[in-house]
Amino acid sequence: MFDFTSGKPAKGRSLQRLKLALMSSALLGLAASSAATAQNISFWTQPQGELLGYQDLFGEFASEFKAESGVDVSVEVINWGVAFNTWLTVAQGGAAPDCADMYWLHSYSGIGGDKYGPMPINEYRDQWPNLEDEFYPGSLQDVQWAGDFYGIPWRVDIRPQMYNTEMFAEAGLSAAPDTWAEIVEMAKALTVRDDNGNVTRWGFSAGPNNPAQTLLPYYWQAGGAILSEDGTQANIDNEAMRTALKFLQDLVWEHEVMSPESFEKGVDPLDGFASGTVAMVGSTPIAWASQMEREYPELDGKWAMAINAMGPVNRDSYSGAGYWGVLRGTENVDACVDWIKFLSREENMQRLSEFSGAASPRRAVMSSASWSDSQWKVAAAETLDYGHTSQHATSVWGALASPEPGAVIYDLVYSTVIVREDIDAAVEQAQARLQEELDRANRPQ
Amino acid sequence: MNRQKLVFCYLMVTPALLLTAVLGIYPMVFSLWMGFVEYDLLRIQDFGTPFVGLDNYIHVFSDPKFVQTVVNTVLFTGIAAGGVVVIGLLVSQVLNAEFRGRTALRMLFCVPWFVPPAVASAIWMWLLNTERSPINFLLQDMGLTTGNIKFLTDPTTWGPFSIPMLAISAVRIWNGLPFAIIFLLAALQSIPKSLYEAAEMDGATLLQRFWFVTLPMLRPVLVILITLLVIGGLGSFEINYIMTGGGPQNLTNIMAVYSYQQGFSFFRFDLASAASGVILILTGFVCVFYIREQVKRAQ
Repeated sequence: MFDFTSGKPAKGRSLQRLKLALMSSALLGLAASSAATAQNISFWTQPQGELLGYQDLFGEFASEFKAESGVDVSVEVINWGVAFNTWLTVAQGGAAPDCADMYWLHSYSGIGGDKYGPMPINEYRDQWPNLEDEFYPGSLQDVQWAGDFYGIPWRVDIRPQMYNTEMFAEAGLSAAPDTWAEIVEMAKALTVRDDNGNVTRWGFSAGPNNPAQTLLPYYWQAGGAILSEDGTQANIDNEAMRTALKFLQDLVWEHEVMSPESFEKGVDPLDGFASGTVAMVGSTPIAWASQMEREYPELDGKWAMAINAMGPVNRDSYSGAGYWGVLRGTENVDACVDWIKFLSREENMQRLSEFSGAASPRRAVMSSASWSDSQWKVAAAETLDYGHTSQHATSVWGALASPEPGAVIYDLVYSTVIVREDIDAAVEQAQARLQEELDRANRPQ
Repeated sequence: MNRQKLVFCYLMVTPALLLTAVLGIYPMVFSLWMGFVEYDLLRIQDFGTPFVGLDNYIHVFSDPKFVQTVVNTVLFTGIAAGGVVVIGLLVSQVLNAEFRGRTALRMLFCVPWFVPPAVASAIWMWLLNTERSPINFLLQDMGLTTGNIKFLTDPTTWGPFSIPMLAISAVRIWNGLPFAIIFLLAALQSIPKSLYEAAEMDGATLLQRFWFVTLPMLRPVLVILITLLVIGGLGSFEINYIMTGGGPQNLTNIMAVYSYQQGFSFFRFDLASAASGVILILTGFVCVFYIREQVKRAQ
């Protein structure tokens, strides 16, 4: 061995020192390199199903993912009560995680532009080669915006019909309505009044008390589409809209089978259905089914679900997907995509769907045994084939479909269905307002 | 005051002033600024925040719904503040009298104060639900009504008045009453008994004693109380937003709810700020009136 300092062959002690120094350097180097590769990513999600169980499940996912990849995922569960404002803040440049469980892609992308909010991950699209075959098409529409790919849908809010089987039997009815005409007939048979004429049970509720969400499926079923495909043109001044509005208006005033209070804030159709003041709901958020099982066990076996009734053109069902995506500003895109890939494995989506009760956009999960063990699950899976995305190709959609008075669709539905204003005039006015709103996000300064 | 003492005083108030500046004054000024620029969340990334002068104010005032919310706000504030003061005066008189169980009754009247407005709204939503309201059941059992009263959803109007507006105002009165009672009770207890004794010796009736002794003695407290109630009423939000969201047909919508809807539902923070600016101006008028009164009194 050579002594580098003296230029002579090394003596025993120097040699030992050199060995020690080399070993120490190697160890330190190893430690440093392992510290450099250790990675942390933050992930935000909204709870589905029971909160603590949901947290535990994501804890398990994070541990399994760490064991596989060495990446630490810090999961934060965002309460639904603050979710909207949280994502609004994120889309404006507020504190954001690396990746998240998100929704309303179109609006938040529009607000964030190319600086904040959801990040397109087109270059990773081929990591899911069979996406079109494995997922329902409606759900995939919710993860694409302006031609870009943003993530993987993981839950679907599909909305079949829900009805009280006991009340149906009492009224001599055996199955859910299959057409709009049957809705009217059955609702009449199911509506009950007391001696003073007060309605004690409404035969029908069109859907949640959000007018926009309620209108959409009936408009689609009548053959309408709110916007042009590119999302720049309003498309509501047509026969389909008039047909849908007239149908809803008649349910309230002509047939008197739907409450004129349907769109008021304190009115909750699920509450009404559970307490027996509503016999059937035409468009039911699928989360209500698991809520019924969880919170009203005494009603087990007394209610059922079915695919939506056929309108004049089709039986489209309201559908909206939550998705896993990446946020702009993160430096951990690869790790985030790996995490999403891990979560979107069939077995993990199965676990998640089984725990949360949320319908899965993945066909294999919906055809699994766990989604075939009860009547409503089978009906939900069947309805997914008629799912129509509730998202629209414009960043202003969130404002258009807002459940607040002043929103274009809210005002249109409320003024025609509840206040009974002239449908033609209201539709014409709404068309102009809608176009104005669409232009708002696109017009030059 | 010597210099050392002054420095100490300033040091003591500095943290509070800093907090007020950062958490109160800065957001308020920023919000006022937003009312004079285009601050549309859907356009901000592409077009920034150009100065638009009074356009946002013109926009909100040309919206009939906003004009209706201004009327509603004034009406709601008037009914609620008036109701709280009148009922508060009556109840505090009773609670000021000496009788057995007075302490328990005082505590009972304070209960609504311990209920946060959001919870109170949820409770009252149930109590006023058309189909399941126990109040409706009671009224029908007593034979006073035959049909259900739609407390929160009846769109029938009598001028600016409607059942939902009165129902919401009643909830606000219920929620605000303890505050007024405590204020007035403290003031009543500070009125010297000798004044009542003198009035009694002069032959004043109960009503005359209230009118000529109690009310004048309560005037300074009443001015503060009414000012606070009016300011609170003009900026009120939770009860209306939770119970009716401003409906039915905008009948219970008030300026703060309108402002929230513009900002958080329609992403128009510029219009929301303009609406808030109007609240600030109205509140400012009340404050100026109050300060002038105080100065006059001091002089």
